[in-house]
Amino acid sequence: MKIKIVDKKEVPALIDRLIERYRVFAPVDAGKYARLMEVASGSEACLELQNPKLSSKEILFPQTEIILRIKKGEEGLETEEPSENDKDWVLFGVHPCDAKGLVLTDKFFASGDYKDKPYMDKRGKTSIVGLACNHPRATCFCASVGGSPFGKEGIDILLVDLGEEYLIEILTERGERMIEGVHGLRDASDDDMARAEKMSEEAEKALQTDLPIEGLSERLEGMFEDPLWDKVHLKCVGCGVCSYLCPTCWCFDIIDEETSTGVERIRLWDTCQFTQFTLQGSGFNPRPSGKERMRQRIMHKFCYFPKEYGVLACTGCGRCVRECPVNQDIRETIKEIMSV
Amino acid sequence: MEGLGNSIKEAAERLLNEGDVDLVIGYERGTTPLRSTPCFIRDSGDVDRLIWDPTCDANLAKYLIGQDAKIGVFVKGCDARSAVVCIAEGQIDRDKVVLIGLPCSGVVDRKKIDSVLDGREILDATVDEEKITVRGEDFEEELPTKNFLCDSCLSCRHRTPTVYDIMIGDTPTEEPDTDEYAEVDELESMTAEERWAHFVEELSSCIRCYSCRNVCPMCYCKECFVDETMPAWFGKTNDLSDTMIYHIVRSLHLAGRCVDCGACSRSCPMGIDLRTLLKKGEKIVKERFSFEAGMDVEEKPVMSVFKQEDSEEFVI
Repeated sequence: MKIKIVDKKEVPALIDRLIERYRVFAPVDAGKYARLMEVASGSEACLELQNPKLSSKEILFPQTEIILRIKKGEEGLETEEPSENDKDWVLFGVHPCDAKGLVLTDKFFASGDYKDKPYMDKRGKTSIVGLACNHPRATCFCASVGGSPFGKEGIDILLVDLGEEYLIEILTERGERMIEGVHGLRDASDDDMARAEKMSEEAEKALQTDLPIEGLSERLEGMFEDPLWDKVHLKCVGCGVCSYLCPTCWCFDIIDEETSTGVERIRLWDTCQFTQFTLQGSGFNPRPSGKERMRQRIMHKFCYFPKEYGVLACTGCGRCVRECPVNQDIRETIKEIMSV
Repeated sequence: MEGLGNSIKEAAERLLNEGDVDLVIGYERGTTPLRSTPCFIRDSGDVDRLIWDPTCDANLAKYLIGQDAKIGVFVKGCDARSAVVCIAEGQIDRDKVVLIGLPCSGVVDRKKIDSVLDGREILDATVDEEKITVRGEDFEEELPTKNFLCDSCLSCRHRTPTVYDIMIGDTPTEEPDTDEYAEVDELESMTAEERWAHFVEELSSCIRCYSCRNVCPMCYCKECFVDETMPAWFGKTNDLSDTMIYHIVRSLHLAGRCVDCGACSRSCPMGIDLRTLLKKGEKIVKERFSFEAGMDVEEKPVMSVFKQEDSEEFVI
């Protein structure tokens, strides 16, 4: 493992070098918040901002994505699956919670026999430059759900903000390849590493850790009919904020749209919180009210997914906590479940 | 306003104990600074959870739609008007609702506060009608409350609930002296191209989460036009052409019904100004039909009646 140092003022040039070889996506200042977007120049990237409004999900599993084009050819219908044949990609400045989100996304889209092509086309060629989280917010709870503000899961190169410079920890071969030919780096000293270690400890300390999560999945297994579900959903208005901002909500809908030359089959984000999510053609909906829909979201994250993959489908990024229009706080829901 | 804490609890307790209602819907302290959260109380022993302060921003009339229980609900001026619209439209049974009026001087706009804090995180805050005190890791700032209220509150003309059964405290008398339609006038003064550019900029970040629709008491359709598939009126993507139509059609559906409670703008995770577009619809209806939504439960919804004297200059 190699550990380097780069002066902050050299970072735009470092990203520019990456742009020569990769498509680079980095947090940019979108006015009212940060958003992960493709950058044409290293100077567009803003690493000092808080975690982007939407997670890296919006790059690798975009909200709207054409998965098939269909048109009439001379010998009948012709289909074409759009594929990404451009350069490799780099997601730059990804917080550890969102990098972990991608590891969980891999399980969903690509751990079984079937690998989701639209996702894997992009994911397979994407390297991640993580940015350790020196200042977790009060709404963050990654440490409670098995993550860490300095976590390395899913990260090829981890940056640690040391004030005037970044410590660069090269973690994988992909990381090695990314950094090849990048100038302006020096080897990290023992002092640099000690400073990074101290920051890691301080960040861990700043995080909420009193969320009772031990045994949550097992507990939920016996709670499908629990009266708790009659009340936890009451204030939820059934919008898509929590799911759409969540790095680990992946439900989608598929629609066909007519174009001037044929039909485009489009995959769109969807959420179990919408009234029509499981509405059947017959008019029957197995999840007819907010109660069943809230239960589904909680069960999927904290019971079904862990049963299937051995890990919670929540990274503690806190987006749902911050952005829910009615302050439906998932941490409170967990506490209520654990106190039943 | 803090002095009213006991009054709201007593009102809720009395309603529950005397069997006037099965459920009281109010506000309780939220889990993050400057946040309240809707609170559902069936047992009078729980009334101590109730609060009332300028963080109580949710429009609780939303929760009255489709309910069978007899409900006591705390309403600000705008929430009461929303309830009135829904009563007039036959969505809420007036006899099953006890409207508990709150004396409102406006609710806090957290996005405005964040915009002056430069990324610093609020860890603790107190708020009253005069000042908001925010504290973070290494800062404490006092902000004048009146500068950090929601835009809808700054131009609110109906702070006192238009209809109520119980009123907490004194009805607010002070009316804002701001121009109610300043933002709309600004839009109107633009050229069509400038207006288009404005809406493109605002709406291009929409992620179709429908929080604006779902927090709105007037968006009670069992099947919203955006969800219909037979026919699918327009696309469900977050392409600008689709999001534009969603917001434009929604604003048309709310013309003469929207009470400018501001809940849609507050709910938007992307910070889109949804209210100005709706305010334009409100202005048109006011000018053409001398109608303001939510003033009287007996009044027929303006878009469902025809009057001989109705302005028809738009008929071509």
